[in-house]
Amino acid sequence: MRQSVLARTLRALAIVALVCWSLGPIVIGLITSLSSQSDIQAVPARWLPKDANLDAYRSLLSGTGANSRAGGTVTESGTFARAMINSATITFMSTIAVLAVSIMCAYAFTRLRFRMSSVVFWGVVSTMIVPVFAVVVTLFRLMADAHLIDTKIGLVAVFIATLTPLATWLFHNHIRDMPGEPEEAALIDGCTRWQAFTRVVVPQMRSGIAAVSAILMLAVWGEFLIPLLLSSTRNAKPVTVVITEFIGKYSTNYPLLAAAGMLALLPPAIVALALNRHIRGMLSGAT
Amino acid sequence: MSGIVLEGVTKEFAGGVIAVCDISLEVAHGEFVVLVGPSGCGKSTTLRMVAGLEAVTSGEVRINDKVVTGLPPRMRDIAMVFQNYALYAHMSVRDNIGFGLKMAKFPQSEIRTRVDDAARVLGIVDLLDRKPKQLSGGQRQRVAMGRAIVREPAAFLMDEPLSNLDAKLRVEMRGEITNLQRRIATPTLYVTHDQTEAMTMGDRVAVLRDGVLEQLGSPKELYETPANIFVAGFIGSPAMNLLPARLDIEEGRYTVFVGDSNLTLSTDALRRRPGLAGYGGRDIILGIRPEDLQSEDRPLDAAHGLISVNVTRSESLGSDVIAYCTLAHRPGASAEDPVSQNNSTTSSRLIARLDRRIALVEGHPARVAVELDRLYFFDRDSGQALT
Repeated sequence: MRQSVLARTLRALAIVALVCWSLGPIVIGLITSLSSQSDIQAVPARWLPKDANLDAYRSLLSGTGANSRAGGTVTESGTFARAMINSATITFMSTIAVLAVSIMCAYAFTRLRFRMSSVVFWGVVSTMIVPVFAVVVTLFRLMADAHLIDTKIGLVAVFIATLTPLATWLFHNHIRDMPGEPEEAALIDGCTRWQAFTRVVVPQMRSGIAAVSAILMLAVWGEFLIPLLLSSTRNAKPVTVVITEFIGKYSTNYPLLAAAGMLALLPPAIVALALNRHIRGMLSGAT
Repeated sequence: MSGIVLEGVTKEFAGGVIAVCDISLEVAHGEFVVLVGPSGCGKSTTLRMVAGLEAVTSGEVRINDKVVTGLPPRMRDIAMVFQNYALYAHMSVRDNIGFGLKMAKFPQSEIRTRVDDAARVLGIVDLLDRKPKQLSGGQRQRVAMGRAIVREPAAFLMDEPLSNLDAKLRVEMRGEITNLQRRIATPTLYVTHDQTEAMTMGDRVAVLRDGVLEQLGSPKELYETPANIFVAGFIGSPAMNLLPARLDIEEGRYTVFVGDSNLTLSTDALRRRPGLAGYGGRDIILGIRPEDLQSEDRPLDAAHGLISVNVTRSESLGSDVIAYCTLAHRPGASAEDPVSQNNSTTSSRLIARLDRRIALVEGHPARVAVELDRLYFFDRDSGQALT
């Protein structure tokens, strides 16, 4: 009995430690975003702000005023909002495009019989193992030649190329686990292969599509290296890149930086919560 | 005009595996033909070739006298019921049933009328607005049937549609499908591995083994005159006893030696089986249906023979008793006959379906009687029936 109590206590402690480890940075970020620069710089360190306020959020969305300018970070009005819109646009376009391409690819690899299908499939999927940093120079050259540097379309094109193999692989497993009979019934009921795909197969993949969409959106929204490399102005810069610019050379406005982090966190958090059921289902193979 | 015709149809899969070998059969208008056989015998592949879901390697498929061998499924004017119903999970029952009509661009009013009619026939009017996941197995089965009949196709194809139902519902649905098919008189090709289903539903039954059509005939023909030991053993439950035996011919008298018993055939029986004449002094396989055996206590005449057995176990089914026996052997003889040792299709075990009033003592010797006219004979090597 004593052992059982001990085991339960240890387990509870482990869970608390894990939660602190995961949520700690977010909580600290939230507190920081509600603090003033003087609270942050106070010695000894102050864990809670003396006078919690939303100044950092206000500055972020409307541009920095004189007070915060003293903190060292200058942000132009609308820069952050523009970055959020860029991120949302790139994420939305990339996700839709990757879904469209990968669902069709996965269907073809799973259901259609053609020569070398297995070889081609594994060829596509194996590109997942190539890390982006290994091809950055080539990628930059290619995008420059295509005049796609600092464009949202350029970033979307790169995300389509990098994420389609992952999505194809996930959909391949999903379609493979789906019964083929409804599709065959549709063929007998008068559908062409394309009609069977759009009217029967895709609607039955709703749960898988939701899960993969969430995975893609989280991946694109959080991507840093590719946008850093391929965007240079507010025309295409997403929020992940803009946030790093709040770090000044000589000093940093930490409340502003934290507020930006908090706001950038919201869209993926909403997506993850909304599609949580589908993501769990797909990961456990139940979709 | 024929409903469904298969002419020399062969299916060879990649790697040289021949799933169906040169099958020819015809389903006439209004006829219900059942393809039956063990798992992997090629029955579903045959059906799928008729449906156009599987390409034909060689041969020809015709539906309503139109060659459809190379046509896609949608151009064959067929309807198919699948083993797991294959309903469209995201559509309501009404949309499931009406999907084929919608694809054929029928007017909405016509679709509604036909779906309502089909639902009424199948007793699923109350379920029309439900989704498939809200239905029981039997209800899903009815929806699948509704989807098939609503289009009034040239042919029905059914791939083990009852195998996911419980035993009671299966019997019920068996009758419903048969009645429905008779009413609409559409040629139907039905696949099952269940010989009871085949015998009770089919106007004719095609028995397949390893992609080869072993016999095609009415249920009665298959039961009464099986072409070989495979059909003999597959049709009937419990299966026919296939016993190692020897046939002797002396002074025109034909005697079959089985275990330590001998059965002298009547001249009448011989007249109906002229093929036996060449088997004097040779080992054969003797077939006896369990239901053709009876207790020696019942009135017997010269048309009956007696077989000595040892009863190893008996099971009461209420209406009958199933007795599991072994053939009795002469003292000193091996319990396992050399013939059966060399032939995997036979054994010296014998099953008898006897009257429930018979008192059997397990572990004791007994004698069972068989009407000599009801014996079946097969060539020991080829397994072909001796007729």
